[in-house]
Amino acid sequence: MSNDVTIRIDGLWKRYGLPFPRFLRKGLNLIKGRGFACEDDDRWALKDINLEVRRGETLGIVGRNGAGKSTLLKVLAGVTAPTKGRVEIIGRIFPMIELNAGLNTELTGRENVRLLGAIMGLSSSEVERILPDVEDFTELGDWFDQPVRMYSSGMLSRLGFGVAVNIKSDVVLIDETFAVGDLKFQNKSFAKVKEMRESGATILLVSHSLETLQFVAKSGILLENGSLLFNGSALKAINAYETLVFHSEQKRLEHRVRSRITSEDVNIFGARLFDEKGDTITEVSAGRPFGIEVDLQINRDLDHPMFSLGILNAAGILCKWNVSKEDGLVGPGPQNHYILRAWYPENRLSTGAYEAHFAARDAASFETLERIAGIVSFSVTGPERSRGIVRGKVDWRLIPFDEVKVNSTGLDLCPESRVEESTTG
Amino acid sequence: MASTISRSGGLYINASSSGSRFKRFSSLLRALVVRDVTSRYRRSSLGMWWAFIQPLVLMLLFTMLRGFVDIPSDGVPYLLFSYVGLVPWTFFTNAVSACGPSIIQNAEIIKKISMPKEVFPLAAVVATLFDLAMSAIVLAILMIYYKVSIGVSILWIPFLALLMVGTAFAIGILLAGLGTFRKDFIFATPFLTQAWLFITPVIYPLSSVPEEWRSIYMLNPMVGVIEGFRAVLIKGQSPELQPLIFSALMMIVILSISWPLFRKLSDYFADVL
Repeated sequence: MSNDVTIRIDGLWKRYGLPFPRFLRKGLNLIKGRGFACEDDDRWALKDINLEVRRGETLGIVGRNGAGKSTLLKVLAGVTAPTKGRVEIIGRIFPMIELNAGLNTELTGRENVRLLGAIMGLSSSEVERILPDVEDFTELGDWFDQPVRMYSSGMLSRLGFGVAVNIKSDVVLIDETFAVGDLKFQNKSFAKVKEMRESGATILLVSHSLETLQFVAKSGILLENGSLLFNGSALKAINAYETLVFHSEQKRLEHRVRSRITSEDVNIFGARLFDEKGDTITEVSAGRPFGIEVDLQINRDLDHPMFSLGILNAAGILCKWNVSKEDGLVGPGPQNHYILRAWYPENRLSTGAYEAHFAARDAASFETLERIAGIVSFSVTGPERSRGIVRGKVDWRLIPFDEVKVNSTGLDLCPESRVEESTTG
Repeated sequence: MASTISRSGGLYINASSSGSRFKRFSSLLRALVVRDVTSRYRRSSLGMWWAFIQPLVLMLLFTMLRGFVDIPSDGVPYLLFSYVGLVPWTFFTNAVSACGPSIIQNAEIIKKISMPKEVFPLAAVVATLFDLAMSAIVLAILMIYYKVSIGVSILWIPFLALLMVGTAFAIGILLAGLGTFRKDFIFATPFLTQAWLFITPVIYPLSSVPEEWRSIYMLNPMVGVIEGFRAVLIKGQSPELQPLIFSALMMIVILSISWPLFRKLSDYFADVL
């Protein structure tokens, strides 16, 4: 039974708006004097999506803004009709989209739970059955019988979420709203989702929090411009998504106006990124060495030419900065055409988009001869999911306290909490 | 080329919903009506009294008007005569104007989950029935005051009420469907109902309408409803059949146009909300 398909999508296309016959719209345009040209026929929100989701599967949906994630969930929820293609869902569907939609601010929490339950398709007896559980789960206490307009936003979200997780359904669609409230409530929500999954519910999850997706989802799909770009494991989908984001960030960096200081003494003709074989690349695998090559000409004899290369990430933070002199490139640079190669044998850049800034100076006078921001841009991609500026493994060990020599670190960060733990535990 | 593909090709199937569709519809309808009725007057001082005030004020206005202009009333005290007409009429206008924006007001719910969209205008109509019940109490008091005798003809009331609700719903879903796409329909509703009042025998009797106009006049489905209520409640007679049949037929005609149109449009509500 664990292998049957609960969601089947065949060649789904979706376009928003009323299906006015095209000639009518064209005619309207003609009247309005815009000419007979029909503007932008290709505004498909979803293009040819084919997907099968099995029972008990947890599928994460990733993609950039406007990629069609929410549209896909809406079509699955039956809120908006597919323009073309076939969508089949077996079992009760529960969309956890905008959980508080439909709340009436004049009604009390209890009355609103009844309303939300009915909206979600429960009969009144079913609603009465889940009411105590919801009351319990939301931890609202006396507030449960107060008008909702007096609630704080956190209380409101808890109310919506409390209803959502207490309704048994076969397919659950979750959009962003996941894990609201304080940490304790978040953990409760996670536990509930896990419970739903174990009870055999199929879960579709859209979240911009890749951490959440990584922990919750087993498989994943990547949407881009309405098309299904990737379908596989959650981790691979997240990686494919990040690569996509890095590439677009890289493009953005490429198109940025670069500040440039220049003098007649040095001309730069070009720059590229290369790998071990010397081939030009635009993407570096995490941990793999790479080099940056600059094609330049020195127009006057320099006794001490000095070059510097800085690597900045997409947020503009300088991640690495090297000066040729400090790294051992010393000596005169007579007037000539050169290829300057900088090789990075230890690549500790974490995954992301980067750009390099290059400068050529005369070390004798410390005069800047040429400086180019964004001389080359590239992305670092890889399967790792560690965050931060620097990549690299960390050795983790969990050692029982007694086995560690006392005062081995000389630091005791919070002695009170330790006392508490030992007394309660 | 994508643009050549027709819009009607999409298919959405949810295997589970068909079995319990009716149960679901009724529980949702109930919840929406409860929401509307309980929350409507919750922050007003007069509360439920508003349901009495509206037809009462209209009745007084028209009674004053009768002081200046001679309006026949088939030999019935004019106060009672006009109030019997105003109770169903007020229901009709309130129901129709509540239907118009019902889809827009429930946009959050519609964007969230699939459901038969008729439930929203229907809930608006049913919630208005509670106001009708309130004003019917005043009517009962008036009837006792004027010592109106009630006969078996009162059995017509369920049928007349059904006709009244059906007409309001038929017009209401038309406005709700169109008004979701173009607000103009909602803005036009008050004018529409005001004009409609004058072509309906609310403040004057059907008998004062010239004979040669009457067959066109009776195309208005509210004619049969209001004349029917008047005959049953204050004259103790069965209603005239001709206006009633006209009304029932017109209601069916309007509904058979507005409902399929609403169904068709409802597929795109979520797209434009």
